[in-house]
Amino acid sequence: MAGCWKKPNVSAGKDVVLLHQLDRGVFTPSISPFPLKLETYLRMANIPYENDFKDPMGPKGKTPWMTLNGEDFSDSQLCLELLASTFGKDFSSHLTEAERAIGRTFQIMAEEHLYWVVVLWRWVYTKGKTLWAIQMNFPAPLRFIMPIFVRRMKGQASAQGMGRHSQEEVIEMGMKDLRAMSAYLGIKPYFMGDTPTEMDCAMFGMLAMIVWCMPGSPFEQHMKGEFINLKDFCERMKDQFWPDWNQCLLPPRV
Amino acid sequence: MAAAALEGKDGSNVVILHQLKRGKLTPCISPFALKLETYLRIAGIAYQNDFDEPMGPKGKTPWITLNGKKVGDSQLCLELLSETFHKDLSHHLSIEDKAVARAFQIMAEDHLYWVMLVWRWIYNGGSSLPLIQTDLHFAVRYLRPIVVSRVKSQVSAQGMGHHSQSEVMEMGLKDLRAISNFLGTKSFLMGDQPIEVDCAMFGILAQILWNSLGCPYEPHFTAGELINLKGYCERMKRTFWPDWNQCLIPPLVR
Repeated sequence: MAGCWKKPNVSAGKDVVLLHQLDRGVFTPSISPFPLKLETYLRMANIPYENDFKDPMGPKGKTPWMTLNGEDFSDSQLCLELLASTFGKDFSSHLTEAERAIGRTFQIMAEEHLYWVVVLWRWVYTKGKTLWAIQMNFPAPLRFIMPIFVRRMKGQASAQGMGRHSQEEVIEMGMKDLRAMSAYLGIKPYFMGDTPTEMDCAMFGMLAMIVWCMPGSPFEQHMKGEFINLKDFCERMKDQFWPDWNQCLLPPRV
Repeated sequence: MAAAALEGKDGSNVVILHQLKRGKLTPCISPFALKLETYLRIAGIAYQNDFDEPMGPKGKTPWITLNGKKVGDSQLCLELLSETFHKDLSHHLSIEDKAVARAFQIMAEDHLYWVMLVWRWIYNGGSSLPLIQTDLHFAVRYLRPIVVSRVKSQVSAQGMGHHSQSEVMEMGLKDLRAISNFLGTKSFLMGDQPIEVDCAMFGILAQILWNSLGCPYEPHFTAGELINLKGYCERMKRTFWPDWNQCLIPPLVR
């Protein structure tokens, strides 16, 4: 897919970010954690941006990606760090180095470990069927080539390592991650304390998938029980940075 | 070596640790085997080594045979051993501290590990292998291009393969800095006593510190910002591997 990439013909103004991402979801503004993370960060940092939903896959064959002042950038974390330095934003300056280290580890737990549990659930254990429930605008032929995507994601998860475990083992790993996140968050409003930081955008991106985009998963139930503080954290991030959440869904909710 | 023949006649639990042959500079060139063997030593669990069948039921190394039962994946092995032998090195920690420990372990094993792997097999093309191990695995000795190609596709599936070399090395350095900042002047990661995460951390850090000859992190360890990580590895080695030199091939004679 990366080979068919052609530079799109849209551009935003000077110092305005053009964020390229997948179309809006039914329950969340994106069904992918990384665009949701990056767009939440843009809102948190008050950085002007526009969305482009027509060319979601960028130069590295991944989504999201962004264009800023004519230059293209890929990878949500590299984009975030570039934006932070370009616009002079640092939401973690009040943290000690040890705290920042802890923040990094939880972000990595979400994006490099829990992420694969979500991938396996969405693509392998439910064979991609939940996609139809969480996003509208898939072309009809996708239904027929879905087995190809399923096989591809299975291969990726196996190469990464998590795909070699049984479903039961993978779900248990996911539960352990969520338990750890819930324990660390505790009664704090945000992961690192009273004010949201960059890593909260990453945590929100991933946890939103589990809270709202995994219908029927064993995690869904736990979010209302053992991990209720994680659900509350998601609601808090949504209320604070997405007052227009319902308008950022497809179809928009009235 | 038939596993069933080695069950304890007196009914005691028998642990056989299956791993690659000893390294030249570290007892194992695999971080996960070093982790698991270090754990067995800290926990005081008697075990025997098997170097003839290093690849286990999930196609990975190390693995264990516990009373005849084959178990793959170092973490699943560790958890089973902990349960079987009633060893909980973390019982004194709060649930928050246990959560932080898990997060650091995942950063080491699911993120920094990939940086180490990419450096060893792709940027360095596997050329460090003969320098760090005498009895190379058949595939490494005769089929190195195939191993390199396999690692490349694994790394691409996992995601790190999409980044440039400088981006990858910077990610690794950020992880190392985070571990260093969190460790600070403590003897072990979570305080005065070594726990399970220290085994995992030592497993990975030992590979970067001792088995990555020519790696750009070297000066950071010896004289720079990561010097406390070097001290930490030396401490783990001194405390739990007093026979380190005899666990190398060839053995080191002082």
